[in-house]
Amino acid sequence: MEDEYELLRDTVKEFSEKNLDEKRIETGGIVENIIQNIASQGFLGAKIPSKFGGSELDEKSYNIILREISKYSPSVAMKIFILNSLYYPLVKNTEMESTLSDASSGKMNVSVDFLNKNKIEGEKFNGTLNDILNADSNNIIVFGKGPSLVNGGTVMEKDFMGFRGLKFGDIKIESELQHINTKVTLNDILEDSYNAISSINLGLISGALDKAMEYSTIRKAFDSPLSSYEPVAFNLSRMVSQKNILETILNNNIDSYYALNFSMNILVETTRYALNVHGGYGYFGDFGVEKFYRDAMVMRSIFYGNSDLKKLSGHVYGNKVGFI
Amino acid sequence: MFDELSDYRKKIREFALREFTEETSERYDRNEEFPFEIAKKSLSLGMVDMENPAKILIAIEEMCRVDAGLGISATLPYFGGEVLFLFGNDKQKKILNDVYHGKVMLSLGITEPSGGSDVAGLKTFAKKSGNKYILNGSKMFISNGAIADYMVVLARTSEEEKRHHGLSTFLVNTKSRGFKATKLENKLGVRATNTAEIEFNDVELSEDDLIGEEGKGFYYIMTFFNISRIYVAGQALGISEGAFDKIKGYVKTNNITDEATMFEVADVSTRIEAARQLTYNAASYLFKYDPKPELTSMAKAYAGETAVYSSEKAMEITGKSPDESIQRIFRNAKIMEIWEGTSEVEKLVISRQILKGD
Ligand SMILES: Cc1cc2nc3c(=O)[nH]c(=O)nc-3n(C[C@H](O)[C@H](O)[C@H](O)COP(=O)(O)OP(=O)(O)OC[C@H]3O[C@@H](n4cnc5c(N)ncnc54)[C@H](O)[C@@H]3O)c2cc1C
Repeated sequence: MEDEYELLRDTVKEFSEKNLDEKRIETGGIVENIIQNIASQGFLGAKIPSKFGGSELDEKSYNIILREISKYSPSVAMKIFILNSLYYPLVKNTEMESTLSDASSGKMNVSVDFLNKNKIEGEKFNGTLNDILNADSNNIIVFGKGPSLVNGGTVMEKDFMGFRGLKFGDIKIESELQHINTKVTLNDILEDSYNAISSINLGLISGALDKAMEYSTIRKAFDSPLSSYEPVAFNLSRMVSQKNILETILNNNIDSYYALNFSMNILVETTRYALNVHGGYGYFGDFGVEKFYRDAMVMRSIFYGNSDLKKLSGHVYGNKVGFI
Repeated sequence: MFDELSDYRKKIREFALREFTEETSERYDRNEEFPFEIAKKSLSLGMVDMENPAKILIAIEEMCRVDAGLGISATLPYFGGEVLFLFGNDKQKKILNDVYHGKVMLSLGITEPSGGSDVAGLKTFAKKSGNKYILNGSKMFISNGAIADYMVVLARTSEEEKRHHGLSTFLVNTKSRGFKATKLENKLGVRATNTAEIEFNDVELSEDDLIGEEGKGFYYIMTFFNISRIYVAGQALGISEGAFDKIKGYVKTNNITDEATMFEVADVSTRIEAARQLTYNAASYLFKYDPKPELTSMAKAYAGETAVYSSEKAMEITGKSPDESIQRIFRNAKIMEIWEGTSEVEKLVISRQILKGD
């Protein structure tokens, strides 16, 4: 990595280590103080143009921020991702663009909904949006025929096992639908986010592996460190090598389809094994490892599926395949 | 053996569906609260027949299929009872009747903060003093630990060259002076179950509290594991089936027909069938008093892995719109690869047993 990126990585790491305690964030949420901190560091508005108060960073820097932060606080990384990878491309170059100033300074919380498409039509929305992550948002982009903006509403919180620092639930809303005049589709933003999603995955994988590697050299079973047993040593070493391969793919921007598919293939297994190495302790929140498994499973279920495999296959074959 | 019990299975399933509603399951999971009423009800109504092992297995499976947090809590008050039943004195055995009827709760303390896989490495010590034993040490992750009336405890009674020779089992009244339980919170899953850290500070035990003979504790506990691991396989089988119920429901309701998903459905159901055959096969040997440790460990490890696999597939397939009950199945499943011997420990048992002899 070039010097400037290394410097950025070290800065984000140092910041995260000092300021982001996911255990606290999971129970108390991402409090104002943290939002102010990530905003003033320029992490919150990482990709947002500087005229809207953002840092206008390149893709690689943005991915480094996501990766380093999600090692410590997957919830904070997800918050940054929602703004920069989902919300921003949809309002970019439209009259709603000005909302980015408040969003990147942390004054306004935003969200994007993929799930309630069939409820959205006409000029107004008067009803309930189900299962929204970052639900206590002032501005939510919904998709009917195209994207529209609605105001936030009353949140009915639900338990969600991933990214617990963010509020999750159903929202009762009465709002005008402000149509967003853009050609960008949901499909576009998700496909353009492959590297960002993979960077969050890499952060989860690295965070979990760091803990497992450390624990395996400290914890003893049958009078020897866990790392002295072949299954533990072989599995963790294989997983670290896979993590490094993913890091190489991302650092060199080799192929975003490969990055997404590879990261999704190793994500759940790696975070699960990291928990496993901790034995009974791994099953308890205090050890800070089970959260990676929860968040990994959520990433795998929300941001990966049949359509991504179709895209990969199309990319590999060079034409449309797997359509029967 | 299991086919004959289809009416009993049906009765249990109906009970679980009636009692373990989504709302109830969610509540106990969120609050990390033990469902005393449900546990009592299942035992006092004779729903869970603790005197017939095949029925216990079926009850565990069917209850965990609906909700593992509640299902395990309802079937765990008896945890460790087999040690008393097989090796206890008359006075100790007397408790069992109350346990069967939900009036007394048991627990079993083997794991210590410094290790669970290496059972023979435990440090808790019961020092003989006249006609008493003085118990000192600590136990970790003990199910029912903070709510049980009695705990079956494995402790060291002498330092022997072969470490497992110096271990003995005791029945400890949890109201004894010097017994302290601290509830552990914030588990990933099975949050309705109670888990505690235990400290013994000069807990006085009489000779009558010794279970069986001194120095035989390791053997007793390994015998117990041959039974309890079958029940854990039953828990895991139930969780897998519950996950598959969700997959099936989702695929049918949403009319999903793509071939990739169909292959996942085939894969999950094949693994569950294999886990079921392994579990029932291992159980049928055990219930004829002829346990096969390698089969037991295969069943426990494979069913545990199947629970995790099925729950992850349920999350993936139903993915975009995550349902709380499926998330709970996912969170519950992982414990199946940890307690009563991790998958790694089971694999050590399997390979040793298989390679033993000619
Ligand atoms: C919710 C919960 C409830 C529990 N209830 C009870 C209970 O009621 N009573 C009780 O006594 N215990 C109970 N346990 C403890 C449980 O049985 C132990 O956690 C388990 O046996 C593992 O022990 P450990 O946690 O000390 O892990 P360790 O023994 O420290 O093992 C850590 C990791 O190393 C692996 N490992 C160890 N040795 C080897 C080896 N030789 N080769 C390869 N890998 C190895 C293990 O598989 C594991 O993945 C409970 C645990 C939990 C989480």
